[in-house]
Amino acid sequence: MKRQIRIANGKKYFFRFTVNQRIQHALLATTVITLVLTGMPLKFHDAFWAAYVYNLVGGITLAPVIHRIAGTILLILFAYHVIYMTTIIYKGQIVPLKRKQELSTGALFKLLINQPLLPNLKDAKDIFDLLRYLFFLTGEHPHGARFTWKEKFDYWAPFWGIFIIGVTGLIMWNENLVSKILPGIVINYALIAHSDEALLAALFLFIWHWYNVHYSTSVFPMGTVFLTGYLSEELMVEEHYEYYVELMTKEGYEDEILPPLGYKSNEHEAEKDAV
Amino acid sequence: MTQKKVFKTILVISTSVLCFILSNPKFSIASDVGNCLLCHKYPGLSRVEGDKGILRLLYVNESAFNISMHAKVKCEGCHTDIKKIPHDPAKKVDCLTQCHIIEPTSEKKFSHKDVADFLAKSVHGKFDKTGQLKKFPEDRPYCKDCHDNPLYRPVSFNKRVTPGISEQALGRCRVCHKKDDFIYRFYNHVTTRLHRSRNPKNITEVCVRCHDDIKLVKRHNLSIKAVETYKDSFHGKAAEFLDERIPDCLDCHVNRGESVHQMLSKKNSLAPTHENNKYNTCSNVECHTNASPKLAQFEVHAEFNKKRSPKQYYFQSAFIVLTGGTLLPLLGIMLLDLLRRLLPGLSRRRK
Repeated sequence: MKRQIRIANGKKYFFRFTVNQRIQHALLATTVITLVLTGMPLKFHDAFWAAYVYNLVGGITLAPVIHRIAGTILLILFAYHVIYMTTIIYKGQIVPLKRKQELSTGALFKLLINQPLLPNLKDAKDIFDLLRYLFFLTGEHPHGARFTWKEKFDYWAPFWGIFIIGVTGLIMWNENLVSKILPGIVINYALIAHSDEALLAALFLFIWHWYNVHYSTSVFPMGTVFLTGYLSEELMVEEHYEYYVELMTKEGYEDEILPPLGYKSNEHEAEKDAV
Repeated sequence: MTQKKVFKTILVISTSVLCFILSNPKFSIASDVGNCLLCHKYPGLSRVEGDKGILRLLYVNESAFNISMHAKVKCEGCHTDIKKIPHDPAKKVDCLTQCHIIEPTSEKKFSHKDVADFLAKSVHGKFDKTGQLKKFPEDRPYCKDCHDNPLYRPVSFNKRVTPGISEQALGRCRVCHKKDDFIYRFYNHVTTRLHRSRNPKNITEVCVRCHDDIKLVKRHNLSIKAVETYKDSFHGKAAEFLDERIPDCLDCHVNRGESVHQMLSKKNSLAPTHENNKYNTCSNVECHTNASPKLAQFEVHAEFNKKRSPKQYYFQSAFIVLTGGTLLPLLGIMLLDLLRRLLPGLSRRRK
C-alpha cells in the first residue's frame, strides 16, 4: 500500500487526495464559481451591482448559455463522482468481503454505515468538545479522525445542493417537456428551490468553507492540500490528531509524534513517560 | 469695390448659406409653419407653474422631434388653442383632436379617437358595461399616462423573427419613390410599427406606475403586486437585463392581433389571461409551442405572501429556515474560533 507520509526538506506531509480527486475538486470549484457569477445577478436583479456583474459574464445573450454549460458539466461531474465512489467502495471493500465469502446483508449494512465520510457519533462528540474548547472550558482541541465533521459538512452540503439545484435547474431548462408530466406549479417550486438553495450553497462555500481553507489563521492566505494533495504536519495535528497518531504509528514514526493542539511539548512528554 | 458691390456680395453669400441650412432636414421642422421654434428652440425656455411651483420645460429639441412619430404634425395641429404669437398659456393637448395629417388609405383627417373607443371598452376604461362610472375613475390611465412622443425605432429584431429590412429593401423603395425624405419616413414608420417602440423593461416601467402602487392596488381590490412579481419571474429577470425576445405584460394580457388598448380583465372569458385561455396564450407560436396544457398552472404572479400564495410561501419559508439554521450556527463557530485563536492560552482547564 502507498505510504501515507512523505518527507520533503525535513518536513512530514500527509497524503489526503489523489490526482483524480483534485481534478474533481478543481472542476467543482470552477463550475460553482461560474454558476454563482452567472446566476446570482438574476436572483438579485434589482441590486445595483447585478447589471454590472451580469454584463461582465456575458450579459443576457451569453450568460444563460454559460450558466447551462457550467451546470451540465457540474451534473456530469456529480454523476461521475457517484459512480467513482460506488466503484471504490465496491472494488476496495465489497469485493474483498466476497472473496473471503463473508458478504451478508448484515455485513454489507455494517460496511456502509461505517464509511469514513458518513457522519457518526464521534462527530457529535467532536462538535461538543469543540464548543467546550471554543468557550474556553478546556484547553484541548478535539482529536479529529481521518475526516472531521467540518469536512463531512463540506462534502455533504454541496452533495445535497448539487442534487437539488441540478434537478430544479433541469426542470426550468426543459419547462415544456416537464409540463407533459408535472403540473406547471412545479416550475414555481423549482425556481424557489433552485435560487434559495443556490444562495445557501454559495454563502456556505464562500463563508464557511473558505474560512476553513483560506481565512483561518492556520492556513491564511490559502491551504495547499487541494493543489498538492498533501497536508502539512501542523495542520494534521490541529485537525486530524487521532488519524495523525494512527498514521505515525503505522509508518514507524512513534517517537516523532507531536503533542496535540493546546498542549505544551513538556506536558506531552510527561504524559508519554507516564504511559 | 464699391459699397453697392460689397452689399450685393454679402447678400448673395448669406442667401446661399441660408438656403443651404434650410435645405438640410436636420435644421428644420417641416411642420413648424407657425414659426413656433422662434422661441421654443431655446433650451432654457421654461416656466414655474401652479401652487407647487413645478418647473415646466417648454423647449423643443428640434433634431429629436424630427425623428419622432409626430414629426409631420404641425404644432398647431395639437395645440389648437394657440392662434397668435406670443400666445397665452396653452391648454393641455387633447389626443383625440382631429387635426392631423390625412390618413393615406381613407384620405380622411386622422385622429386617435378609435384608440380611445378601444380603451373605453377595456379594463382601463372609466365606465363599466352598463355605462356607470367605475370606482376611482381618476386612477384609470389615459393617453398621456402611458405615452409620450416616441422616437422612431427602426426594426432590428422582431421577437424571434429574423429582421428582413435593409439597405437593399430601401433600394427597392427607390424604384418607385423618388424622394428620400419620404422613403426614410415611410420605412421608419412601417418598421417601427412591426414591433413595439418600447422594450419589455420599458413596458413594465409604464405598468409599474399604477400596478405597484400599493394604495391604488388595494383601492381596486387587485390581488397582486403585478410588476414586482413579474420582475421576479423568468420573464421579468430577462427583461430586467434588456432581453427583447422575452414576453412582457402586453404579450400575455392582450389578445394577439388586437390593440393593447383592448386589454381585458382576467375575469372576462375573452381575456388571454382568463383561466380557460391561459394555455393558448402560453403556447402561442413564439413561446411555449410544445408545452402541454399543464404549463398553464404555472403562477406567473406568485407572491411571497401567506394569504395569496400560501404553498409558495411555506415552501420558500422552509428554505429561509434551512439557510438561517445552517449558516447562523456556523457563523457563530467561526467567530468563536477567531476569538479562541486570539486567546490560545485562556481556558479554565488545560484538559
